[in-house]
Amino acid sequence: MTTTTAPAVAAEVTAPKPLKRRKRGGGYKLFRVTMLVLVVITFVAPIIWMLLASFKTNVDIYNPAAAFNFTPTLGNYETVFGQANYTQYIFNSFWIGLCSTVLSLILGLPAAYSMSRFVMKKSAALVLLARVIPGVSLLVPWYFIFSNMRMVGGYEVLILSHMFVSLPLIVYIMMSFFDSLPIELEEQAQVDGLTPIGAFMRIVLPLSVPGIATASILSFIFSWNNFMFALVLSGSRTKTLPVAIFDFVAYASIDWGGLMAAAVVVTVPIMVIALFTQKYIVSGLTAGATKG
Amino acid sequence: MKHQSMFKAVGVTAAAVLAMGALASCTSVSAGEGSDTVRVTLANHVWTDIIKDRISEFEKDTGLTVELTQLGEDQLSDQYNVKLNAGTDEIDVMMYRPLQEGKLFAQNGYLADISDRVTANSDWNWDDFQSGPVGATTWEGSVVGVPTITEQEVLYYRTDLLEAAGLDVPATLDDLENAAKVISEDNPGVAGFVARTARSAAVTQFSSFLYSFGGDFIKNGKSVIDSPEAKAAYEYYGGLLNNYGPENVSTDMSWPEAAAIFAQGNAAFYTDASSLYKNLTEAENSTVSDSVGFAPFPAGPAGSKPYNVPSWALGINEASPNQDNAWKFIEWATSPEMTLDIQEAGVPGARDSVWADPAGTASFPPALAEAVAIGSETGVGYDRPLVISVAEAREIVGAPIVEAITGGDVDSVIADAHEKFQAFLDGENK
Repeated sequence: MTTTTAPAVAAEVTAPKPLKRRKRGGGYKLFRVTMLVLVVITFVAPIIWMLLASFKTNVDIYNPAAAFNFTPTLGNYETVFGQANYTQYIFNSFWIGLCSTVLSLILGLPAAYSMSRFVMKKSAALVLLARVIPGVSLLVPWYFIFSNMRMVGGYEVLILSHMFVSLPLIVYIMMSFFDSLPIELEEQAQVDGLTPIGAFMRIVLPLSVPGIATASILSFIFSWNNFMFALVLSGSRTKTLPVAIFDFVAYASIDWGGLMAAAVVVTVPIMVIALFTQKYIVSGLTAGATKG
Repeated sequence: MKHQSMFKAVGVTAAAVLAMGALASCTSVSAGEGSDTVRVTLANHVWTDIIKDRISEFEKDTGLTVELTQLGEDQLSDQYNVKLNAGTDEIDVMMYRPLQEGKLFAQNGYLADISDRVTANSDWNWDDFQSGPVGATTWEGSVVGVPTITEQEVLYYRTDLLEAAGLDVPATLDDLENAAKVISEDNPGVAGFVARTARSAAVTQFSSFLYSFGGDFIKNGKSVIDSPEAKAAYEYYGGLLNNYGPENVSTDMSWPEAAAIFAQGNAAFYTDASSLYKNLTEAENSTVSDSVGFAPFPAGPAGSKPYNVPSWALGINEASPNQDNAWKFIEWATSPEMTLDIQEAGVPGARDSVWADPAGTASFPPALAEAVAIGSETGVGYDRPLVISVAEAREIVGAPIVEAITGGDVDSVIADAHEKFQAFLDGENK
């Protein structure tokens, strides 16, 4: 992402004054390339290390001399998918992420729309409060309530707890998105005979697809990566990937290879989703800014 | 039209999700009093793997169903903190660390009193359990846990390096320092000695040095970490790492890092828990798997006094309505036969009988079995200050270790730690 957008921005900024651009020539270029390389290395190196380590034995992982020169093994992946039941955990993570996102959209879109159109500052602040309160402080009361309701260990409690994160996120992203939509469109629709709700459903929502996509993807990623809620509220049947990954850390032995293979399994789907949808993420995030 | 169908799809999905939620709530089984389901929470451990494989035998014999939750050490702690705090009755049997959490759990009333249960069955034989570990699972005269796994501090060494240097296996701490010096001078790039260096993690492994110098953490409720013996121990442990430890030694190493340095062939001596030996002796983990030697903890001025502790125990949740069946599980998992089977797989048990049985020690490297046996006899039953807030206490008494490793002003840090530790103890005893 950085590599593709940076030159475009630079060109845009400097285009009207080509002379100046020529002046700062070599030094600036070198600086830019160095910084880009540094950033890319910083972000990509841990992922490469994880990927390489997932094909190594424990003894090679610890050996700096075997950083690139080693005999690859598929044993770690066999452990992950054979003994460790990861297909179930992948499904759990996926299902909980999907349900919490869809439900948050159903509740969050109308909420964000009304907060944007009717200027409900206090309600908006209340929603923001949910983002400010540290989730960990809610764990004990949540556990107490849900265990009395005999819900701990089920999917529904995990979906509800993840909605606590995704709902405010969706509301906030969509609020600024709706703010940027010209109100004249809706007025026009009402003149043409639509009710306010009809205008929201038929005019505003279809125009907001990029924003909705951004919010859903971010919400899904948050849910996919959530560890804390799942640790306490999931059962052995509903364990999600971030919790399951710790199965490779045992007392007096750590299976680094298995851990890294599991980390790859956790990371790859989300990276693929992000790669294919980055167009939406970028356009959604910047939409408010350019139209504002 | 296209968008309408999208909304329909969203609506249908939402309805399906809600329906599924409702269905799932109806199907969740409540395991109450006398329930046939025993809910067991265990830590990730070789011990747990063996038990897990054999749970079907237990289910067949008793007609009960076991619902097993298995978590890493820290995750288990986090979960207990939340769940037990909320007064959960959804855990029946809990695997816990007697020295780390035992006192806290017992004081908060999380652990059921099982004194009558342990003595009820003479075949199961409670007297067979080692006294050190039993002491750690007893609270104010009541038994609250059954020790399952024990460990002692031992000395790991490289047989090839010792042979090349023409040295004997160190029997005293002076010998150890001398051997570390000789080997680190003879072999550039190889450290004479490695051990844990992180402030909190090092405390347990430092404890054997402390006891062997004649020191202790607490005496009659007062901090004694500023005694001359304790000072000597701090200086010895830190000095060994400062002078003969790995170059630019980090002060953030727990066992995975320290064991890795030894397993990569970069250190001659390593002191740590006996339970870690497979990280050093298995070829998939270690480049020196063929040349690892084991010795009892070297003697200091007060003799060889390694810790001999129960690292894990099983207890019953006081709030569980299903305590009778929970006890059946514990009785099965800690029976003499099961303890022997598990020990044969390399997990040291807490029963004297398995150590007396040749079959019980056959799976261990002979020198390690001997070192463990000696450690069990001379050992001290705790490896950290016996307090309620163990984590906080470890941070305090661990500070001088780090200072000694970096070669700083140990005396002033000890004085400071002593003062803080005394204040901490006063606070706990209020």
